[in-house]
Amino acid sequence: MPDRATLIEAQIPGLRRFACALLRGDQEAADDLVQDTLERALSYWNLRRKQDNPRGWLYTILYNRFLSEQHRVRRRGPHAALTEDTDLPGIEGGQHSALEHRDLLRAFAALPEEQRAVLLLVGVEDASYQEAARVLGVPIGTVMSRLSRGRERLRRSIYGELGQNVRQCNGPLRRVK
Amino acid sequence: MRAASRPIEEDDLQGWVDGRLTPEQAEAVETYFAAHPEAKERWSQYAAQRAGLRAAFAENAEAPIPARLRVSRLLAERRTRRYRQFARIAAAIALLVAGGIGGWAAHDLLPGLTSSASAVLASSVFDDAIAAHRTFSVETRHPVEVGANEEAHLVQWLSKRLGRPLIIPDLSGLGFQLMGGRLLPADSGPAALFMYEDDKGTRLSCYYLVADIAGGSEFKFHEQNGINAFYWIEDGLAYAITANMPRDRLLKIAEIVYQQNSAGGAKAKLPPAPGKPS
Repeated sequence: MPDRATLIEAQIPGLRRFACALLRGDQEAADDLVQDTLERALSYWNLRRKQDNPRGWLYTILYNRFLSEQHRVRRRGPHAALTEDTDLPGIEGGQHSALEHRDLLRAFAALPEEQRAVLLLVGVEDASYQEAARVLGVPIGTVMSRLSRGRERLRRSIYGELGQNVRQCNGPLRRVK
Repeated sequence: MRAASRPIEEDDLQGWVDGRLTPEQAEAVETYFAAHPEAKERWSQYAAQRAGLRAAFAENAEAPIPARLRVSRLLAERRTRRYRQFARIAAAIALLVAGGIGGWAAHDLLPGLTSSASAVLASSVFDDAIAAHRTFSVETRHPVEVGANEEAHLVQWLSKRLGRPLIIPDLSGLGFQLMGGRLLPADSGPAALFMYEDDKGTRLSCYYLVADIAGGSEFKFHEQNGINAFYWIEDGLAYAITANMPRDRLLKIAEIVYQQNSAGGAKAKLPPAPGKPS
């Protein structure tokens, strides 16, 4: 059995990615959130369900910390809330896809919080639908409906106004698999 | 899992986007797409979005982990912090003992101490905490409202009801496992109770109540028909640790609870972003 440091450390890259995406690219705030999560995980290590992989547990702690922090920010007033001007990640990639990334991330950042969380856990963090339900503390049916609504909303905001054109000229649908 | 002839459902298509289908299911979806090109277009767009998000966020996971997130470092910091708190507690206990020997004179030397208001509060908290402990520690079926398996929810819920971030102490080092917690009424507002149990079945409760009193207080001890309790105030919360166990052993637990709460409280009080070094 690996020790707790090893088990926790293995999850840090994923936790940072999840935190940074939840916080719309604010890496500094994301690392604060991850640090808070890790400190709590170390404090409560003996209280986790022993049979589980700590991954889901760590994501659960992080998401709960994120929610309570958001709650505090909202109560503190709108000036402290994150704005859409926050730098989005992935723009400096210098890839041909940089612009597409930017549009996608902007559209993604505008999704309701609960839909973003599901899209990230399932689509980026490779959580099973069941795992995502546990992390978010909702039934699996709710995960599926948030997934469905989130994906459709994202699609509309990206392809929305172009939708007609794309369809007419048999648009360039990339199947990225 | 599913009959091959069953019509395609939304969940199958989401599974297709996420690559979670068995080969047979995937084939069924492809067959469906062959007959419904407009659906294929839409679902392919979902798949493209998914891939786009993965690519866009990938670099956040690839960046080197900053030193402050290294587990070894966090563990070392915890050890230092614990040592400092222990020193602080030891000083507080020394004063408590001195107070016991030297009489009430010592109290006046301590900051934020026994005003009559806090004395009244102390006696009512003791009464409430001990009554709650008596009531719920004998419950075999429903000692708590929310169990330890829902700890995240428990702490969120009770923090919300008390209007401030609570910390559930980790007493596993002393052999006590969290059973869960409940919300209780008290004269001045809602109170939170966390119940613990050791492997001999001894139960211990941590009782938290919002106290509008500035500063902190020393530990106070109270005994009522065999139930012992330690009480103190820190940062606007009154704490009472109650159990049917010898005073010395209970004091050790109270110290740990105090340490863990001070650690968390100090962090929660950090000023917002502007003052923070980048």
